[in-house]
Amino acid sequence: MSSPTTTTIVTSLEVIDDTMELTLVELCQAVRAPQEQVRVWVFEGVLTPRGETPEEWRFAGTALRRARLARTLMQELEINAPGVALALDLMDEIEALKASLRRSGAR
Amino acid sequence: MKFQDYYQTLGVAREASQDEIKQAYRKLARKHHPDLNKEADAEARFKEIGEAYEVLKDPEKRAAYDAVGSRYAQGGGGAEQDFRPPPGWDAGFEFHGRGDDDGFDARDYSEFFESLFGRAARAGAAGGSARRGATNLRGEDHHAKVLIDLEDAYTGARRSIQLRMPVFDDEGRGVLQERTLDVTIPKGIRQGQHLRLTGQGGPGLGNGPAGDLFLEIEFNTHRMYRVDARDVYVDLPLAPWEAALGASVAVPTPDGEVELTIPAGSAAGRKLRLKGKGIPAKSAGEPAGDLYVVLAIVLPPAGSDASRRAYESLKSAAGSDFNPRAQLQRGRA
Repeated sequence: MSSPTTTTIVTSLEVIDDTMELTLVELCQAVRAPQEQVRVWVFEGVLTPRGETPEEWRFAGTALRRARLARTLMQELEINAPGVALALDLMDEIEALKASLRRSGAR
Repeated sequence: MKFQDYYQTLGVAREASQDEIKQAYRKLARKHHPDLNKEADAEARFKEIGEAYEVLKDPEKRAAYDAVGSRYAQGGGGAEQDFRPPPGWDAGFEFHGRGDDDGFDARDYSEFFESLFGRAARAGAAGGSARRGATNLRGEDHHAKVLIDLEDAYTGARRSIQLRMPVFDDEGRGVLQERTLDVTIPKGIRQGQHLRLTGQGGPGLGNGPAGDLFLEIEFNTHRMYRVDARDVYVDLPLAPWEAALGASVAVPTPDGEVELTIPAGSAAGRKLRLKGKGIPAKSAGEPAGDLYVVLAIVLPPAGSDASRRAYESLKSAAGSDFNPRAQLQRGRA
C-alpha cells in the first residue's frame, strides 16, 4: 500500500478557550456526536450552554474537552448519559482537589 | 509476530458467553481507562483490552479468531513461537467493517490484529463510504494531542506534528497518508485548550469542504513548576535567617530569573505573588496569570559544635515565651 507524505505549514489557526463560543452544529462536528446526543447531554447537565433554544445555544470553548470526554466514556465504557454526568462531576471534583494539592506543594 | 491471547487479556474462559465477555471488558475498561487512570501503563493496557473486546464481542470475528487460535495451538504454538496467519485463514468468514466511524482516532491495533482484521476491515469501510460519495459532505473533524513545555506557553513554540490519516486514492480505495504539519503554538496557551486548524481534518466528499483538526494542548510535567489554570507555583527553600531577617533571593521563573525580596518575619508556606508572571495573556485585554512563590524553610544541620551553640543561643534568645505548639495546646483547653 502506498503511503504518500506531505508537509503543510499551517497558517490558519485558532485557539479555542473560554473567550470563544461554539454553536451546537460546530460542537457536534468537533466531537462527532449527533445533535440529539448533545441535546441529551445538555438535558442531563453534562453541558451548560448559554441561550434558550438549541439554535441559540452557545457553548464555551472549555465544553469541547468535556463533550469529547463524554463521548469517549459513552462509547468505550458504555455508560449512559446520567452516568456520564456523574462521572464528569466526580472528575471535576478530583481535578479541583488535585489543583488545591498542587497549590500547596504536591506534584 | 506474537500470538495474542484475547481471552487471557480479558481474563475469561474460551467458552465464556457474550455477556461474560462484555462484563469482563466493562470492568477492565473502567479500571484502565486513560481518562480515569493516570498510571503510565494504563493507556497501553486499555488498548490491549479494547482490541481483545473488538474481536471477542463480534461473533464473526470471534469465530474466525477461534479457528486461527486452534490451528495455532495444534501446531504446538507457545507464546514464543512466531505467529503467521495461515494462508486463506479467512475463507468462509465475512467481516462487516469495524463498526467504528473514526478512522483517525482509531486505536493503534497490534500487528497481530492488523494481520487478521485490520487492513481488510479498514479498506472495506473506506471503500464503502467512497462509493456512497455522490453527495457533497463536509469532511470529519479530527483530534490529536500535543505535548509542550510550560516555557513554550510563555514564548510560543513551533511544533512539527506527524499525522496518519485515511484518504481516498484515485480509485476510491482508502490508503493511510502520512502528513507533517508545521504548527506555531501561540504564547499564552494553557493546558486543556484546543487549537483549531481549519481545513486540516478529514477530506470532504464530493465538493464538500475538508473538516478541521483540533489539537489539545498538554504540558509536560515540570521538575520545578506546578501549573493551575493560568497561575504557576514554584517552591522557594530559604535558610531560617533569610526568612526571619528578610533577604533578596534569585528565583527562577519560566520567563528567566528574578530577584525577589523576602519580607522579614516570613513563615514557611507563605505565598508571595508575582503579578503577571504566570502564563502570559494571549491577547491584549486578557489577564496574564500570576506566579506564586511558596516559601519553605530548610534548617541547617546541628552537626558541628559551632552550629549547636548557635541553636542553643537562639533557644535562650527566643525565651520560654516562644511555643511552636501554642495552637495545639489552645485546642486542648
